[in-house]
Amino acid sequence: MHITAIFKKAGAPTRLMKLTASLLAVMVSLVFVSLYFENNFEIVFGQQITLTAIVAEPKERWDILFDKALEKLKANHPDMDIKIDYRVLPYDATRTQILTSMSGKTPIDLISVDQIWLGEFAEGGFLTDLTNKTKDWGRANEWYPTNWEGGKYENKTYGIWSWTDVRAIWYWKDLLKEAGVDPQNLTSWKGYIESAKTLNNALKDMGIQGVHLVGAAHSPDMWYPYLWMLGGEILKQKEGHPEKGTYWFPAFNSTEGVKALDFLKQQVDAGISPQPNHFWGQEFADKKFAVMLEGSWLLGTFPKEQWGTLDQNIGMLPVFPTPSSDVNSTTMMGGWLLSIPQTSPNKDLAWELLTIMVDPQILTPMLQQEGYLPTQKPIGEGAYAAQLNSTIPYYSELVSMIPNAHSRPNIPEYPQIAENIKQAIDEVYYKIKEPKQALDDAAKKSAEVLGW
Amino acid sequence: MMTFSKTEPYLYLVPALSILFLFLLFPFFWNVYISLHQVSITSILKEWRFSGTDNFVQVLNDPNFHTSVKVSAIFVGSSVTFQFLIGLLISSLLNQNIRGKQLLIAVVMIPWITSGLIAAFSFKFIFDNSFGIINYFFNSIGLHSIPWLSDPNTVIWSIVIANVWYGTPFTILFLTAGLLSVNPSIYESAKIDGASKLKSFFYLTLPLIKPFILLDVVLITIWSINFFEIPLIMTGGNPLFASTPASLYMYRQAFEFGLLSKGSAAGILLLMINIMVAIIYIVALKKRG
Amino acid sequence: MPVSTNRIDKIEKSIIYIVLFVFIGLTMFPLIWVFTTSLKPNDESMSFPPKLIPEKVTLENYFFVMTNSTIVKSLYNSLIVSVGSMILNVSICALAGYGLARFEFRAKSILLYVILALFTIPIIVNIIPLYSILANLNMLNSLLSLILTFQILIIPLNVVLLKNYFETIPKEVEESALIDGCSKFGVLRRIIIPLSLPGLAVAAIFSFIFSWNEFVLPIVLANSPDSTLFQVALYQFISIYRIEWGYLSAGIVVALVPVIILIIAFQRQMIKGFTLGSLRG
Repeated sequence: MHITAIFKKAGAPTRLMKLTASLLAVMVSLVFVSLYFENNFEIVFGQQITLTAIVAEPKERWDILFDKALEKLKANHPDMDIKIDYRVLPYDATRTQILTSMSGKTPIDLISVDQIWLGEFAEGGFLTDLTNKTKDWGRANEWYPTNWEGGKYENKTYGIWSWTDVRAIWYWKDLLKEAGVDPQNLTSWKGYIESAKTLNNALKDMGIQGVHLVGAAHSPDMWYPYLWMLGGEILKQKEGHPEKGTYWFPAFNSTEGVKALDFLKQQVDAGISPQPNHFWGQEFADKKFAVMLEGSWLLGTFPKEQWGTLDQNIGMLPVFPTPSSDVNSTTMMGGWLLSIPQTSPNKDLAWELLTIMVDPQILTPMLQQEGYLPTQKPIGEGAYAAQLNSTIPYYSELVSMIPNAHSRPNIPEYPQIAENIKQAIDEVYYKIKEPKQALDDAAKKSAEVLGW
Repeated sequence: MMTFSKTEPYLYLVPALSILFLFLLFPFFWNVYISLHQVSITSILKEWRFSGTDNFVQVLNDPNFHTSVKVSAIFVGSSVTFQFLIGLLISSLLNQNIRGKQLLIAVVMIPWITSGLIAAFSFKFIFDNSFGIINYFFNSIGLHSIPWLSDPNTVIWSIVIANVWYGTPFTILFLTAGLLSVNPSIYESAKIDGASKLKSFFYLTLPLIKPFILLDVVLITIWSINFFEIPLIMTGGNPLFASTPASLYMYRQAFEFGLLSKGSAAGILLLMINIMVAIIYIVALKKRG
Repeated sequence: MPVSTNRIDKIEKSIIYIVLFVFIGLTMFPLIWVFTTSLKPNDESMSFPPKLIPEKVTLENYFFVMTNSTIVKSLYNSLIVSVGSMILNVSICALAGYGLARFEFRAKSILLYVILALFTIPIIVNIIPLYSILANLNMLNSLLSLILTFQILIIPLNVVLLKNYFETIPKEVEESALIDGCSKFGVLRRIIIPLSLPGLAVAAIFSFIFSWNEFVLPIVLANSPDSTLFQVALYQFISIYRIEWGYLSAGIVVALVPVIILIIAFQRQMIKGFTLGSLRG
């Protein structure tokens, strides 16, 4: 092309370009105005104490909790202008954010810690040692002992276990009736698989699957109960560790473990497909599954106005299926802890906020709203319990599972061990290895992780 | 010749280079440092123990890394192949004398501007086992449902499909530009020779747009090697690392398991692969003359 | 034989159109599906069997998305960051590209290779160091730091693109203007910039799209409610409303609108910029 031609073509701006240019000019000024405000926000609005928190979704529970707790905290300190800046993040992002924040030494006053993260975070020096504060507080003995211990790492308290959950069998009454399945059959391994087949055949055309089988990141959580009910353990203490003397050693590849994993294999062989996407009970509430082994939070996926009559549509069996009737069923208990990061510039105030948040008066309404279970006696017993019992469907049956419930180890290496177990389960799901082989391989990797 | 002082050309480069050094190169060296030490969630705030090449050895011996490299090879290889071939076909069709060319180009570009996040969610949605439309469609024409996201052998192809969908428009755009740069008078003379259209495409057009093709292939290769948003969101890399390319492996090590050193080491290995690709490209260019 | 060539032409044309429309159909299908889902009430979006055409058209999903204050705020943030990043990027890349195109100097080829090599670094491994750097500069959760960090995504590509573009503008044009008494700045303003508008448009589109689409950097570097970007907000929104595909699809459609407008507006410039830039490596 000739030079002058280019010149002419590009040199005469079209109307569109003029328009774009003016649009750009407006946007640039927007950028500067907002940057000004961003930098001068605090100067404009004067001094205040802002407590920052990073917590895991769902959001609603934190909205309720922080709202009420802040009110009380402000009442305790009329002289201060206190604000809470809390960020609700998805589960994985919460972990990433805590990790990056701590490595960048960002000041944060409160975090929610999944029960299994505690050891890792405490070992990493992320968390403030709360032992002395809890002594002055004096409420430690009001917690159920297992739940209190869950907040400890190497005999120091790093977090307060604020609520828990248990896993149980949930089922749609009408679907089971339609397929002619007796819910009681679900309580035995054999009956569970038979029922699944019957349900699958009967409900296939409606786009509904018989029973749910978790194939996601936390599939170990739904396998442990079978391991435990047979008398097996995830880890056990063993002597002769090269560095630590006596330390944890993988025990999940015992005969009990193999038998437990074989039950999952039988489910897959019977045509039950593992679900890689887990929507935490929403898929059950949406009637995509007739039966689901799921945590008590499943209730929270139903609208509150349905809770009063929920037991007419939904059934609950407070057990995991057992291989025979003489085996006692178990379940798994999880839940969230509240901790104060080492980087908190307002540790005393943060502790005060934390204690307010776990105060029965503040905490109970949230538990009631979300369907969570208490970790402390003042809520689990007495007047508050009656309140929970009257609103949360199947509350007393769910609570009755707690004495038989186990929790996962919270040692720093646990997340990696869980990943190995998850891989073993997947290998069985997808018929790559036999249960024994898969568990042995996972145990070998886990032993390495534990420093053996 | 224009006159200029010795420092003048550097002044033009200062802003770009200073940003690159501060936000890319400096963090990268930091990262190399991390990869040579023992850094994880439990040790990040303590003294970082020097561990030499331990982390690299660990990564190279990890069977999951081997799987992820295989996944990467399939993911990158097929993404690039399909993106390129489809892109070449569509861009040469768009280059024909057809009506509404401008609008068509704008329409085919849309997937590329959707972002990886949106592409991933859209495909997760239509591939869903229970209410996804694809399986419903398969059933209604008498085919079996395919467990798009849950079968270790299928899942890789699901993420490839999503990535091809997302990435092809870039190639279309890039090659369209290349084809437009070819002087049409060349075709006129070829027609007189009686060369068939296909022949002239292979013997005339392709060699002429070779620099575009090379740069396009390198760009999409490097992007595909580093890209992990689609598998992260569609499958989280599951099941069994079957949809975990090396880039996602790196991310999962660092941020899911908190093994920062291992993640850094994997990242550096990834960079080496990238550099090899770039060198092959430069050599290919040099050969051209 | 004019008749038969005509017929062959016609057949050829129809094949071209058929292939193009099949391709466009396949390309648009997921988005059309997302779009129709966004118009369905939530219980219908997961109904079995799935329906392409909504039985009951509703705007409630859009209403829900657009009344979510985080989403609205994040749209505004994203716009600021993308436009800011676009302006900054085009400016610094134009300077660098001009420097590389117009001057012969010792470190030139080395610098060019360095810039290209930087392009191959997987950004994600840098997240932890980047976070620490920004934390030390007290620049976390600020839109400005996002604008700055997004530059690394796109500088290498745009520098090369603009360098090649400037090289297509003959030096003589510039030199004669200088002789005519134009200042250097005057040359840049009156000759280089108008002549390179198509190239700058491509660079601008690239930087806008890359900034708009980036998800990994902002999710870690800026997630305070005031600095959340749209992709991050959408991701969080989706994880919070997990399976509510109606809301999700409405969010996706909302995300697409600004970029589609931009593409249509700049489309002509872009193709021209690409062609003349003739991107030689």
